[in-house]
Amino acid sequence: MPILAHWWDLRNLGNAASALLDRIEAWGAPAWIPYVVAGVIGIVGCLTFLLLSQLSFIWIERRLVARMQNRIGPNRVGPQGLLQPIADTLKLFLKEAITKRSADRTLFWLVPIVILSPGLVAFAVIPFGDGMVLAKLNVGVLFLIAVASLNTLIVFMAGWSSNNKYALLGAMRTVAMLISYELVQVLALLSAVLFVSSMNVSDVVGWQSHFHTWLLFLLPLAAVAYIFAGAVEINRTPVDIAEAESEIVAGYHIEYSGIKFGFLYTAEYFAGFAVAAVMASLFLGGWTAWGLEEWVPGWLIFVTKVYMVFFIYIWSRGTLPRLRIDQLMAFAWKFLLPLSLLNVLLVGGEVLVWQEGGYEAEVVLPIFAVVNWAVAGALVIVWGSVLGHLRPERRPRRALLTKEVGVIVYGQPEPGV
Amino acid sequence: MDDAGTVTAFWILTVITVGSALMVVAVRNLIHAVVFLILSFLGIAGLYVTLSADFVAVTQVLIYAGAVSVLILFAIMLTPRAGRDNTETFLRLPALLLAILVGFTIGFVALDADWAIADRGSFEETASAIGEALLSKYVLPFEIASVLLLVAMLGAILLVRPEGAVEE
Amino acid sequence: MAMKTEPFVVNMGPQHPSTHGVFRMRLTLDGERIIDADMVMGYLHRSMEKLAEERTYTQNIPFTDRMDYVSAMTGNLAYVLAVEKLCGIEVPERAQWLRVIMSELQRFASHSMAVGVFANECGVWFTPLMHMFREREKILDLFEMACGARLTTNYMRIGGVSRDVPPEFMPAAYKLVKELPKRMGEYEALLLESEIIVARSRGIGVLLPERAIACSVSGPMLRASGVAWDIRKADPYAAYDKVDFDIAVGTNGDVYDRFLVRIAEMRQSIRILEQALEMMPSGPVHARIPTATVQPGGAPSAPLALRPPVGEAYGRVETPRGELGFYIISDGGPAPFRFHIRSPSFINLTPLPELVRGITVPDAIVILGSIDVVLGEVDR
Repeated sequence: MPILAHWWDLRNLGNAASALLDRIEAWGAPAWIPYVVAGVIGIVGCLTFLLLSQLSFIWIERRLVARMQNRIGPNRVGPQGLLQPIADTLKLFLKEAITKRSADRTLFWLVPIVILSPGLVAFAVIPFGDGMVLAKLNVGVLFLIAVASLNTLIVFMAGWSSNNKYALLGAMRTVAMLISYELVQVLALLSAVLFVSSMNVSDVVGWQSHFHTWLLFLLPLAAVAYIFAGAVEINRTPVDIAEAESEIVAGYHIEYSGIKFGFLYTAEYFAGFAVAAVMASLFLGGWTAWGLEEWVPGWLIFVTKVYMVFFIYIWSRGTLPRLRIDQLMAFAWKFLLPLSLLNVLLVGGEVLVWQEGGYEAEVVLPIFAVVNWAVAGALVIVWGSVLGHLRPERRPRRALLTKEVGVIVYGQPEPGV
Repeated sequence: MDDAGTVTAFWILTVITVGSALMVVAVRNLIHAVVFLILSFLGIAGLYVTLSADFVAVTQVLIYAGAVSVLILFAIMLTPRAGRDNTETFLRLPALLLAILVGFTIGFVALDADWAIADRGSFEETASAIGEALLSKYVLPFEIASVLLLVAMLGAILLVRPEGAVEE
Repeated sequence: MAMKTEPFVVNMGPQHPSTHGVFRMRLTLDGERIIDADMVMGYLHRSMEKLAEERTYTQNIPFTDRMDYVSAMTGNLAYVLAVEKLCGIEVPERAQWLRVIMSELQRFASHSMAVGVFANECGVWFTPLMHMFREREKILDLFEMACGARLTTNYMRIGGVSRDVPPEFMPAAYKLVKELPKRMGEYEALLLESEIIVARSRGIGVLLPERAIACSVSGPMLRASGVAWDIRKADPYAAYDKVDFDIAVGTNGDVYDRFLVRIAEMRQSIRILEQALEMMPSGPVHARIPTATVQPGGAPSAPLALRPPVGEAYGRVETPRGELGFYIISDGGPAPFRFHIRSPSFINLTPLPELVRGITVPDAIVILGSIDVVLGEVDR
């Protein structure tokens, strides 16, 4: 049944909010009070979601990664280890917060506070349900990209203010990475925007619900490019070069201890959820699921999708090795960027054909989907072999087996797999 | 600018912007100056929002606070240690006088000009309007700007290329 | 356009998650490239060589566990071989085969750790390591069955092994050897085909065979450079001349080849184990060794101390890291006159500074991981 306008209809939490606002107006308050109250309700809602998700994902991630590694994971603190996040937070609060004397004090203290903002602010434009958006920005997608670019600055400030060679090394690497992958991110989101002809995130979700399709099916290359670029933006394996533990021992947050480190860690989760939420809204249909949102609350569907995308990040953290920084940058500039540009060209052409020809969506969209997938596959294989990714030297091999002692076989052709 | 909300926002943002801009020239540490500069960029973006220029506001954050600041920070990193102070120089008094003079001139012109105050219509989308204008009426400046950016990128790549080495 | 940059010195270690123990490298970096590397060792020095001169030959066997603590069986074996050469003792058949079985089990366990830690350094964050530790745990359980200890086994004795394996050892060993090939297939699929590991280790840290021989490098590092030299075939000891196996050789000398050689050696270990478990005869596990109860001159001395004849001997085995050799000089007394350890990890570190010159820090860590050092052996 359609979503009712009663305040108790949980499928649209905005109903409760607007009922409250009507009540406030009825009390004769000046015009700006409902406005501010609406803002506060939205902020509190986003914060609640983020903090609860972060607390639970501390436990979920550690258990999942442990299962992938044939271990059990935290199971001591509380039943099944569920109180582990609380134990971790308490521990971080009680730790001694050491500040180096030679560190830049103001910036050093400022960074943990400011680093929470990009992840948090990004949720202002993401629809949790029908009309459950904090700010219906017409330039929502661009806003998301702008907020992600602020991350670059904050990471650099963190590395610089620590006055530590390792931290600076980590910060410079991170800034180079983040700048390269911003371009890839923009182009991936641009192709989504081209299809929908609007930068409003609610419009994109509405478009996907109207045409009963997900942009993932129509734009595979953009979705994959965005997932990868998103992983880079949030510094997770396979691209967690900034905090590569086995190399430069935690990179830009090496000097942060105690609750300051807790804030940095939380900020990483917030940013991760933001990227997952953008992916879920723009490519996976947001809070709609082909009519399921009439029984299950839309925000529940959305949260499930966000968690599913985040699970992909946890999965790749447990499985994949880490790329070197120059390999990562080469991948961005030589592989992902040309492919994304070609993708934008292709999508622009398709949208033009659709709008000029005035075809029916049911006819045209499957054709586009097939064409896009075929072109994506062909481009990846062709461009990969042009760049040399499929060269014989890059393929895995086996060692030579011999019984003679003392021979030197250096330089001989190697046996295949 | 009629209702109380916009006026309050305008004054708060102005204080932030102008205050940070003044702090940029007043603080000793150069990195702190850059941080104040970033704050003033964000204040300007807020001011654009009060003028209902949503696209320009977000682009301001993206380009100025996100990219230009990083550029400035890199430039600072590459300067030798000695040049990193915002210390006293003998040019302080003349620069202050010049700044006051220029400020006075601009202020006088701004207050004396006959601004045609238009009525604020309903909010319309600026992104599509800007896009259409860029590709129809202002297409030549757009193309020239693209070529300029391309030349800048190629120049940067050529400058940092190692001598004769071809990388994998 | 040259930018004025200055190189700075970065200290890696002694506390660092990737240096395999307390190892310190002072790197002079220019940006990300290493200009020079300076190794500082000795943080784990326990002066074993001098301490051994105060103890009898049998009391020195536990020392050899603690040097290369990851592969203790082979350490025991090398020392015991040297003393047997010195005394001219014949070891019974069953003991020879038990030595082969224990060495190969130890080789598999040590290589699981080496390969897992190498993958860890490539950034996989413990997953392959934890999976390979499954098999290592089973092997350590077998060791516990045989000699009571998992890590510092102290199993070999001069003239044989300390005790025979209990009856539940053989079925457990058979069961393990049957399921190992399938596991190896899983690990090969997970690690060898991973494009990122190939990209991280191909062409890095190439060591030419002439240079490897000149630096006295041994073990998988030497074999990866293309030189087919394995002590088990070149100078056979225990029962290795009776089993059939191949030497795994690489053709490029880079980090990926060392990795491939270790994985191939794990497969060859399985092959040797299968043959050894079949072919092991029954019999005594310890030879009767002559001990002196009366000192020349009449007064009773330390009872049951072995007094080898005056002379010197060099006994060597192929440990998972390379050639471990013990050079023992005896002056006729109960304690050795000189007890010198030729440790493979220490010698294998010789070409490290020239391998890491000119590359970036992450690659240097991968190269260090591929040499597979154990600091107990390096510092003794």
